[in-house]
Amino acid sequence: MRWLLSLTFAALLGIVQALSSSGSRLLVVVEEAAERAKYSTFWKDLEERGYKLTFDSPKNDKLSLFQHGERSFDHILLLPPKSKGLGPALTPNLLLQFINKDGNILLTLSADAPTPTAIFSLLLELDIHLPPDRNSLVVDHFNYDTTSASEKHDVLLLTRSSPLRSDARNFFGGDGALAFPRAVAQELGNTSPLLAPILRAKSTAYSYSPKDVVETVEDPFAIGEQIALVSSMQARNSARFTVFGSAEALEDKWFDAKVKPVGGKDSKTANREFAQQVTAWTFKELGVLKVGSVEHHLSSISEESFGNDSVARLGYLNPTIYRVKNDVTFNIEFSEYSYDHLAPLKIDPADALQLEFTMLSPFHRLDLVPISTTANSTIFSSSFKLPDQHGIFSFRVNYKRPFLTNVDVKREVTVRHFAHDEWPRSWEISAGWVWIAGVWITVIGWVAFVGIWLWSEPAYDKSKGKKMQ
Amino acid sequence: MPPKQRAQISSTSSVPPIPKSITSTSQSTTHGKSSSTSSFSSKSNQSAQDVLIDLWNNYLNTTPQRVKLVDVFMAFLVMVGGLQFVYCVLVGNYPFNAFLSGFSATVGQFVLTASLRIQTNPENKMEFRSVSHERAFADFVFGSLILHFFCVNFIN
Repeated sequence: MRWLLSLTFAALLGIVQALSSSGSRLLVVVEEAAERAKYSTFWKDLEERGYKLTFDSPKNDKLSLFQHGERSFDHILLLPPKSKGLGPALTPNLLLQFINKDGNILLTLSADAPTPTAIFSLLLELDIHLPPDRNSLVVDHFNYDTTSASEKHDVLLLTRSSPLRSDARNFFGGDGALAFPRAVAQELGNTSPLLAPILRAKSTAYSYSPKDVVETVEDPFAIGEQIALVSSMQARNSARFTVFGSAEALEDKWFDAKVKPVGGKDSKTANREFAQQVTAWTFKELGVLKVGSVEHHLSSISEESFGNDSVARLGYLNPTIYRVKNDVTFNIEFSEYSYDHLAPLKIDPADALQLEFTMLSPFHRLDLVPISTTANSTIFSSSFKLPDQHGIFSFRVNYKRPFLTNVDVKREVTVRHFAHDEWPRSWEISAGWVWIAGVWITVIGWVAFVGIWLWSEPAYDKSKGKKMQ
Repeated sequence: MPPKQRAQISSTSSVPPIPKSITSTSQSTTHGKSSSTSSFSSKSNQSAQDVLIDLWNNYLNTTPQRVKLVDVFMAFLVMVGGLQFVYCVLVGNYPFNAFLSGFSATVGQFVLTASLRIQTNPENKMEFRSVSHERAFADFVFGSLILHFFCVNFIN
């Protein structure tokens, strides 16, 4: 309901610009005003998309991420500080608390400004590893900008990475070269399922520390596509944390710079578009799934059978109890937030949205099929026969994909066994006719036997019988 | 019921006399195999067919008419039960309760009839002194009715 309300408001106010699905208060942590001016285009782009930017210095004593136990901001953008640390208001613990309260963070790094230890340990906790030498930068002798870094080769020219998986959504696609000056390499841990690289370096890149006096680099921190330049962590509560390897790439001068790859032609960088994609994703303008109505009912009952009786129409929905082997239909409405509106969710043919009917473990795992689309949602449906097992079950839709918010919807129902009078009568099952006949033949045979027995009292017994009476 | 018992005992005199040796044969007719082997060993020059025919004739001649009737009914039950079982093996046991009640009706009826046979057989008179034939028959009818009631209900 809230999104509907906000949509209405947006329409009324005539704001057609994008608006994050999770709020527009953005805190930008930047130390100096001069530093802030370098990114003016970036700020303008964000403000145009509906964000209310608050600039603050980490040195400010009054800066606080929380007020009365609630978040004071919806998103944080951290620029690399010139001083040693981020101050008492932005400790790793507070930043994690911010994430736990559904806040999103975009962290930018730069090889020019050494990463503070606090950030280093925060990233370590999330299984994102930075080179131990704080001045390390990524160098590529094959994909660099010849106009600005013909000597040092530290301005990387990159194209967007291919999607992580064939069925994963690609929010960061597009043409054009990305310039990444003096980037900090990140290495993602193998064990965390929450991490996903957004942009990876080319196979010829490596991380290198300019302090090294040795001519050749021995045992580099990371090489090739192992290096993530932009990486993301989506927490279990779907809060997003993005590490942007090169803060400089967001500056005005790289937004409209002309770059020239080795043996290539001059071209304009796509940094501005890429920055928009990354911020849009991090601040939840993209890839946010929303579940609308969830309903289940007996397949034998359809909405049409009630006509205009609205009470009866609702009465058959979502019963708390079913019987084993009932035919049941499950419907779920899904929307996907896209910049400023909810759009119908489309599932990639290689992917599947699945319904589980589960008690401890799933008894059924079925594909949900889109049956209808409204202006901003798709309704997925699946019909199936309940298993021959009674107990407390739940309908569960567990949809977790890279770059999409986590969906885990459960609806609990009781499944009872057959009532005494719900079994088919014996004669309805033709296979049992022989045995039914068997019983009745036995009975009839017995009656005949009793009749003959009584009728055929033997002669020698008669005298006995008389005597007895 | 002392008078009844006395009457029963006194009635033995009115039963037609049966030769002792023949009675022993007829007694063991139900346990066919052992009796046939014993008779075979005693008259070894007879063929098996002759023995069987002898046995059958003995049975026809010496068995009281009511016991024969009981035997016919038991043979009928074996046949009906056997057919149901064969059908179950061939076609499958669905619906199982129908099979159970159909088959157990014959088995249960067979057991009840067997006990009726034991109790009313004049051979066993000495063992069932206190049970008159009428009492045995009434028990049989009562037990059978309960059995039929159960089977018909169980088959649903």
